[in-house]
Amino acid sequence: MSHLGSPLSSEKAMDIVNNVKSSSHRIRNSIASIIGIVVLAGCATNAPQDTWQPRGDNAQVINNLQWIIFPMAGVVGVLVFAFAAYTFWKFTDRGQPIPSQSHGKPIVEIILTIIPALILTVVGVFTFRGIFELSNTEDTQMVINVTGQQWWWEYDYPAQAEQGITQPIITSGQLVIPVGTKVLLRETSRDVIHSYWIPALNGKKDAVPGRINLLRLQADKPGLFAGQCTEFCGLSHANMRMEAIALSKEDFAKWVANQQKAYTSPADGTLAKEGEGVFLNQCIRCHQVNGLKKADGTPAIAAPDENVYSGAAPNLSHLMTRNTFAGAKFDLLNKSCRKDVWGAKPDAIGEKYLAGVSESCLNATALRAWLRNAPAMKPMYADPTKLVKSGGKYRGMPNLGLTETDIDKLVAYLLTLK
Amino acid sequence: MITPGSKYFFGLTGLSLIAAILYMVLVNPSDLGAVALLGLAASGALIGAMALFTRDGDVYTDEEAVAANAVAGPPSFWPIVFALGAAIVLTGLATVSVVFILGVAVLIGGGVEWAIHNWADGASSDREFNEFARARAISAIEFPGLAAVGLGVIAFFFSRVVLAVSKEAGPIIFIVVATVILVVGVLIATKPFMKGAVTVVVSVLAVVALAGAGTFAALSGERHELAVAAEEDHYDAAHRECGEEESAHYDHLANNTVSLRSAVTATIFVKDGKVYAEAIGMPTKVDTITIPRSNATSVMFRNLDEEQHRLVVHLGSAKVASTGVVEKVGTCTQLTGKNQEQVMTLTIPKPATATEPFSFTVPGATGEIKLVVP
Repeated sequence: MSHLGSPLSSEKAMDIVNNVKSSSHRIRNSIASIIGIVVLAGCATNAPQDTWQPRGDNAQVINNLQWIIFPMAGVVGVLVFAFAAYTFWKFTDRGQPIPSQSHGKPIVEIILTIIPALILTVVGVFTFRGIFELSNTEDTQMVINVTGQQWWWEYDYPAQAEQGITQPIITSGQLVIPVGTKVLLRETSRDVIHSYWIPALNGKKDAVPGRINLLRLQADKPGLFAGQCTEFCGLSHANMRMEAIALSKEDFAKWVANQQKAYTSPADGTLAKEGEGVFLNQCIRCHQVNGLKKADGTPAIAAPDENVYSGAAPNLSHLMTRNTFAGAKFDLLNKSCRKDVWGAKPDAIGEKYLAGVSESCLNATALRAWLRNAPAMKPMYADPTKLVKSGGKYRGMPNLGLTETDIDKLVAYLLTLK
Repeated sequence: MITPGSKYFFGLTGLSLIAAILYMVLVNPSDLGAVALLGLAASGALIGAMALFTRDGDVYTDEEAVAANAVAGPPSFWPIVFALGAAIVLTGLATVSVVFILGVAVLIGGGVEWAIHNWADGASSDREFNEFARARAISAIEFPGLAAVGLGVIAFFFSRVVLAVSKEAGPIIFIVVATVILVVGVLIATKPFMKGAVTVVVSVLAVVALAGAGTFAALSGERHELAVAAEEDHYDAAHRECGEEESAHYDHLANNTVSLRSAVTATIFVKDGKVYAEAIGMPTKVDTITIPRSNATSVMFRNLDEEQHRLVVHLGSAKVASTGVVEKVGTCTQLTGKNQEQVMTLTIPKPATATEPFSFTVPGATGEIKLVVP
């Protein structure tokens, strides 16, 4: 601001003018770039949560509705903006005299009432038809209980002989369904309100404590579909993710058979066997592995109700048949193996997914980091000194203070849970 | 001139501010304590400003105040009531909460009366005016307060009597007493000879009779079945009578309608003496109901038979922490009549073991529905 005190030379004045011009150019270019990025982002084909790429009947109903409503809304929006812009330009105060004032025009008012009413009627007819279509659950072929809690999803499959499920299956993070099957999700929550949303398969539905809300999914082809909790549910809401895996009926039957397979303890004298001991000492306080027995031969029953605010922690039976952990926030597969599964063609997805997580494909870095200090990887209420409000119970996994040796053993053990 | 009353409050404001600043610096700036101290400072400033604006609420000039305070007022018994309240509070702290609450009420009542009495004493040098000022200030609270206490005493003594006598005698006593009150009320309103001293005598006799009967009934205790019910809570899950037969207490006044259908995961029916179940979304009848672990889940029971039935859930057995004895765990609905329904809400923290599977049964009906908690 030194130029304020003394007269400016013509060169300095030109410099200032050029700087202002260059600043305004930069701002203009930045705005244009942002708009360009937004427009281009809309054209992305690899967008796993794109609502315009339905992969099942239910999502198709919503998509059909979008194709009716969005163009109508677009036309109305363009007309309104164009008319407003024209009005601002035409009637800007340039010193002209104020035009004569009149009190309303009945014809215009009637037209401006009837047109929106007609538009809303058309929108309403299609919307209600869509809502009724989506709420139909009568011809359901399969039922899965979906329970949300801070910050992960649990799926339990009740026994259903038609689907080959003779004993209940419980898993988390990844929902596995057979293609071409009308699957009914019975949603609820253990703590706060969450919302379940796999955009490629259907709209969103709230999971509310004490209520059971129904959501139907159906996938046309085998595939992997990403989703996200869409009701703000606390500190790690953004990290509460989910994936739906649609498998061919044959592959789904294989998956079911594997999930119902009895637990096999690692061989004596192996690192994994030592890891089982660490699991029984530490992890069993919250995490269940079905079939796991204590040293005295009695079933090892986890007690998440005594340690976790929601009363539940992910059941880790057959953990390595899943591709993710910690509320689907982290991959159990390393980058190349994940790319291999997610990039597979529909007819190859089943085989690749059912292969599970091998030692060579394990994302050991993330899993070890999680075991070392989980709260450092995902925001959670897990500081033991700050649990007064939750009655001393954790929301999320605390830092267990495991040694590197214990972590080695645990990783070796977890790899056996297939 | 800054009035004496406002000085106190402004002093309080200053001290609170200093305390708040020290608290925020030394303890925690966002703590509830800091908010409370700042609130106290704000309140002090507000009341101080009001006292200053109203000149401490005094209606007299300084000269009148000197004259008023030169005249000794009549002795007040409210300090004694206040002290009695303090004693009752202390007794309550050492005994039961009811006594403590009573003490707080006496303490507050005595304190307010004492404060108003003291204020009215200094209102002017005219005793009659002071009494008028006291009555004007306190009557609006005093009479409703006394009426509430009177009604409370009557309700307490009368309830003791009704709880002590049999269920049949209770309504009769109530009708007789109500009729007597109505008759006496009509006589007082219509007959001139019933006014004055007679009314007082009748009222005193009634109060004495009620207090005597109430005290006697309270000392005698509640009637047998109430005493038994109080001793063992029939509605507590541990004491529910879940057999086929009607329970004397648990099945009393059963509410056989359900309004929370959206929260029900499955419905269990009994029809022609057989049990079956339907689960939401399942196209056919199910013999197993799966509910999430550690999550309140409701199951509806609907009786389609002529006979009354109840739904019973068996949840294995567990060791009672206090006694160390292993007891069966389970609960049940109340007896449910034809086409009526009840809801059972379960929160099961642990899965069943192979030796003790969970199940639903209906006593008197055949069939069983398995309950799975994965």
